[in-house]
Amino acid sequence: MCDAVVQEKAISVQNEFGLHARPAAQIAQEAQKFSSVIHIGMQGREIDAKSILDILSLAAPRGTDLSLKAEGCDAYEAVQRIARLFEERFGEGR
Amino acid sequence: MAKHVLTGIPVSSGVAIGKAFFLNKNRLSQAPRQTIDEGLVRQEQQRLGQAFTLASQELERIRGNVPKELQEHGALIDSYLMILRDKKLGDSAGEYIKRLRINAEWALEKAVADVEQMFNAIDDEYIRARMQDVRLVTQRVMDQFAGQENGAMPVGHRVILMAHDLTAADTIELEVDKIMAFATAMGGKTSHAGILARSLQIPAIVGVEELEQSITDNSIVILDGFNGRILIQPTEDELNKYTGLQYRFEDYQRSLTRVCHLPGETRDGYRVDVFANIELFEEVTSVLDNGGEGIGLYRTEYNYMNRSTFPTEDELTEIYTDLATIVAPNKVVIRTLDLGADKLSSFGALEEANPAMGLRAVRFCMAHKDIFRTQLRAILRAGTQGHVSIMFPMISGLQELKEIKAFYFQIKEELRKEGTAYNPDIPLGIMIEVPAAVLVADSLAREVDFFSIGTNDLIQYCLGIDRTNKHVDYLYQPLHPAIVTSIKSVIDSAHRAGIEVSVCGEMAADPFCIPILMGMQVDSISLTPQAIPGIKRIIRQVPMEDCKVLLKEVLESESVAGNNVLVKEMIFRRFPDELMFYTSLLDGD
Repeated sequence: MCDAVVQEKAISVQNEFGLHARPAAQIAQEAQKFSSVIHIGMQGREIDAKSILDILSLAAPRGTDLSLKAEGCDAYEAVQRIARLFEERFGEGR
Repeated sequence: MAKHVLTGIPVSSGVAIGKAFFLNKNRLSQAPRQTIDEGLVRQEQQRLGQAFTLASQELERIRGNVPKELQEHGALIDSYLMILRDKKLGDSAGEYIKRLRINAEWALEKAVADVEQMFNAIDDEYIRARMQDVRLVTQRVMDQFAGQENGAMPVGHRVILMAHDLTAADTIELEVDKIMAFATAMGGKTSHAGILARSLQIPAIVGVEELEQSITDNSIVILDGFNGRILIQPTEDELNKYTGLQYRFEDYQRSLTRVCHLPGETRDGYRVDVFANIELFEEVTSVLDNGGEGIGLYRTEYNYMNRSTFPTEDELTEIYTDLATIVAPNKVVIRTLDLGADKLSSFGALEEANPAMGLRAVRFCMAHKDIFRTQLRAILRAGTQGHVSIMFPMISGLQELKEIKAFYFQIKEELRKEGTAYNPDIPLGIMIEVPAAVLVADSLAREVDFFSIGTNDLIQYCLGIDRTNKHVDYLYQPLHPAIVTSIKSVIDSAHRAGIEVSVCGEMAADPFCIPILMGMQVDSISLTPQAIPGIKRIIRQVPMEDCKVLLKEVLESESVAGNNVLVKEMIFRRFPDELMFYTSLLDGD
């Protein structure tokens, strides 16, 4: 057993085309590697970061502010890794 | 005559003659709906799980076979796999089986309907369109229930592929070298099949009515990708005719590849610079591939649309600098924002009865100087690299132009005082697209370094017709004497003032209009990158003398119909291939 922790971080969508299919796939893929429950919040709504369909349903364009929240043993690492995807603009270059 | 002729929307040119082959013809069957006994719930859930596993394995196999040149598609397959594994589908369907005691097919349909409801609420067309991906993925699971093979084509020879629809995943499975052409029952001008066909350079037709009912596997067909026709069981004569056309088109394409990297110069030494119109940075590759000699029109609107905030000065500077650098030593003409308030979602819609004549382009920019300032500063800063020019759209008079220039000089002064690096000598130009600007072109020409004639808007404003309005689009006539005279007069004004003039509307990309523009001695043209090779071929083969004679005849004629005939006669004499392979603006849609 481990100690469940709650980890939160404010992030923003920086890639040119926003959270379209490919970034959404990357986020879900990364989130699924962790045992923590991971949520993405946008304007009062919370969705499951492990579901590509949920992420797509945010329809978040560039410039959107989001909150990332994980709860579980590996919450800290999960938040770090997913936040990094956003910072690296999902490898889109711009 | 062939036994039967079907028509559809041509999306990729060329001719193919061969045997028809249907992909997944039986796919349309409705999934069975049943209720089940409580004792069968576990078993049904297992059946569901198995179908998902098999569909997933199949997609993984496809993913592994994606050739390198189609890696874009490979990434798509990755997102399909993610969708397939999403608990919104599988887990949710499993729940439905248990809760409602229904069969796996029905439960999956319900899970998909839930997702669809979620997607329908989204105010973003692109994301909404992803629902297609969800449907496509679930269809694969449904196929597993039915025990249907969804595998590769069991064919040993090349075929003309027929399908209800072709999605990205379908096309991956195809052995592309075995396909001569596509036809689909569904789809429109922008559908995936068309994009794929053009990238593979094979003919394709979409939206073919009665395709599935009329054609059976192995029937001999001719697919005419120029006119969107499929001839079923053609006659000997038709076969001969189309075989001839096929050879001719292949020759024609080879000749395009040969000329596209040569300069746009007539046989008698008259030079027309051929630039490209682009909207996205990524299009630069296509400009270079097609022999574009620079960017004659960079539309900057894209960076402002579909987002909640305006781009920052640094962001724009970076994009413009990248563009200027990659295109150097050739030039980039950056057109300032040509949008109306109606196109800026972040701005809140303005109530305008007639946006085309409303607060847009430079009018909008001068009403919102903070937005304009950001863009002008970014262009001025980016101008330190490569060869950047600025172009203002929709100028309608001298006073307006002077005010814009005064604002521009004020911004330059700001940059100078701050000590920010910028290019103080960027050439300034304007679009001539409002009829008033045509009439005062002489005085406008003294204020700027170049003109660019935007024929699309000029035709609409001059003839007073909205081209997208089906009731009046027949009046969209590029060779209306008023249009020809207007363009000629603008070019003459520019040359009297000693400045250069370009044409950047669709007329510049029309093989039938180009000889007239050349006769007017236009200095350059700017057009969509894909059209450059075909236009260069004409420029390089037609002598200037002929263009001048044609122009004289056109100017003397008083009728549009007469002009169209004159032009077509010349094209027929010199360029019979173009007459065959192009749909001209002159023909209407």
